[in-house]
Amino acid sequence: MTAPVLEVEGLVKHFDVSRQVKVHAVNGVSFSIREGETLGVVGESGSGKSTIGRSVIRLLAPTGGTIRFRGRDITNLPESACRPLRAEMQMVFQDPWSALNPRIRIGDLIAEPLKLHTKLSAAERRDRVEALAIRVRLTPELLTRYPAELSGGQLQRVCIARAIATSPKLIVLDEPTSSLDLSVRAGILDLLAELKAETGAAMMFISHDLGTVKLISDRILVLYLGSVVEYAPTAQVFADAAHPYSQALMSAHLPADPDAVLKRHVLQGEIPSPINLPPGCHFASRCPVAVPRCRTETPPLDPVAGDAAHQAACLRITEGANRIPALEDAHG
Amino acid sequence: MSATIASPRWVRRIGGISRRSPTLAAGVFIILGFAAMALLAPWITPFDPELAQSRNVLAAPGGAHLMGTDGNGMDVFSRVIAGARWAFGIAIPAVLVGLLAGVPLGLYTGYRGGWFDEIAMRFFDALRVFPSIILALAVVAAAGPSLLNVVLVIGFLDSPVFARVVRAEVLALRHSTFVESAVSAGNPTWRILFVHILPNALQGAMAQTAVRAAWAVRISATLAFLGVGIQPPTPEWGAMIRQGAEYLVTGQWWVGVFPGIALILMVLGLNMLGDGLQDLLDPRRKAATR
Repeated sequence: MTAPVLEVEGLVKHFDVSRQVKVHAVNGVSFSIREGETLGVVGESGSGKSTIGRSVIRLLAPTGGTIRFRGRDITNLPESACRPLRAEMQMVFQDPWSALNPRIRIGDLIAEPLKLHTKLSAAERRDRVEALAIRVRLTPELLTRYPAELSGGQLQRVCIARAIATSPKLIVLDEPTSSLDLSVRAGILDLLAELKAETGAAMMFISHDLGTVKLISDRILVLYLGSVVEYAPTAQVFADAAHPYSQALMSAHLPADPDAVLKRHVLQGEIPSPINLPPGCHFASRCPVAVPRCRTETPPLDPVAGDAAHQAACLRITEGANRIPALEDAHG
Repeated sequence: MSATIASPRWVRRIGGISRRSPTLAAGVFIILGFAAMALLAPWITPFDPELAQSRNVLAAPGGAHLMGTDGNGMDVFSRVIAGARWAFGIAIPAVLVGLLAGVPLGLYTGYRGGWFDEIAMRFFDALRVFPSIILALAVVAAAGPSLLNVVLVIGFLDSPVFARVVRAEVLALRHSTFVESAVSAGNPTWRILFVHILPNALQGAMAQTAVRAAWAVRISATLAFLGVGIQPPTPEWGAMIRQGAEYLVTGQWWVGVFPGIALILMVLGLNMLGDGLQDLLDPRRKAATR
């Protein structure tokens, strides 16, 4: 078994709003990603997905926990020491329109990581940029254009070319398709799937769209208010989610079969504020199967039915009472 | 119709801009006029602007002396034209000094933030409390009324304006995705500042340049009028107005009025140009005023 490219243990990130008020964005999250593996990170907005993505490549300084990249502890590395590592870990952002400097030509944008991290000559760099452009299916004529002249899908391809230019070992994809048109999305996802197979890079795919996560991920991490509620292989999460929140999330996902009978569960209740997190299970306020002790005891992330690969954080699993009822029959 | 189609692109572009912003067009027209005067001064002045003709003192306008002569018998028309050289010669370097001092400061304080930013901004606030003319007066009076001193004082008094507009844009850009993406690509700080942030943060400062140049012309004339700036017989408009003020009561109005008109026109032109530039370069401002 290959060693993990990224190991995260007990990651905590708080944002200080003022001296007394803290936003608890990420509260003790652990996971690992192996070479060639793609981890899907799902959750609602505000669940800490993007914060985790930015923390693991050290765009943010974590409040606690450890981040190991290829065996090396990078949790508290200063920015100057992170810089050489940035060749090996790259990120693709959600909104390609704002992720590229509007005053730099496409070719120079793709060349930038090469300029910063390699000793290639200008001519070698040009060849490499052209090869990268072709790899992400951009016509080389676009290389002399400015970002404002390209479409969203083309811009995201530019961002991807930038991210793979230095052959990184880890690529964080922060909702790379969610701001794109549906028709463009498929092309980007195909490209990412190809790159995944080709480069062997570890990927972290952050999304709130279960359909895209399902396509590309090997394992899935389900987040709720900055904590992991379920961590399991993709097929298992979709077929047999253990945590009530994951079940509700999966029931909201439309299957490709138009004749399938939808048993949707629409969650009631309010999401607690990440400034004042309640004790016990954070999901208890919206959970249809919660019992009083859920509001006082913090559920540990335990293997489900003795399967170490499938973990969930719910007190009611051992009682066999974790199934939520499908309340609404929504058809079509 | 055929003329419009045949005219080159830049002609149509200028036409388009002047229709959208007559203020800008008028400003450009006035300033181009003064620039031509300044550049061609040695060839178009009928007399040497500093040639004193002692037999022809305080001659009324007309004849050989279009705008008359002053108390030293110098040709006012030639001096008004030559004065354009001094106006540009002070305004342009002063604005450059202001940009060179203010832009890097705004860039750095905006990006770095924290206590350094706090101290720099409070210092600028403190500077703004003093009326700038008093401050300029004091410094020039203390350091001596040379051209260099006047330029440096005006430039440094101007730098907080540039620092502030650049800082405001840097603050907005600092957390933008493309700067984050530049960091994640592994750019060192200097490259983030100068390659990624600066070119996107200069529009506001550029739009300010003409207005600040107008201010520089006005301040340098004021200093000269008060007798601490450029000294007569140098053909500087402010100094000329000071000379003319003495003759106003005795009826020789032309000594002071003509340089005064030139000064007003130049400041007006620069302000119109500046207003037009701000509309053109800052779409938010445009939306707010329309």
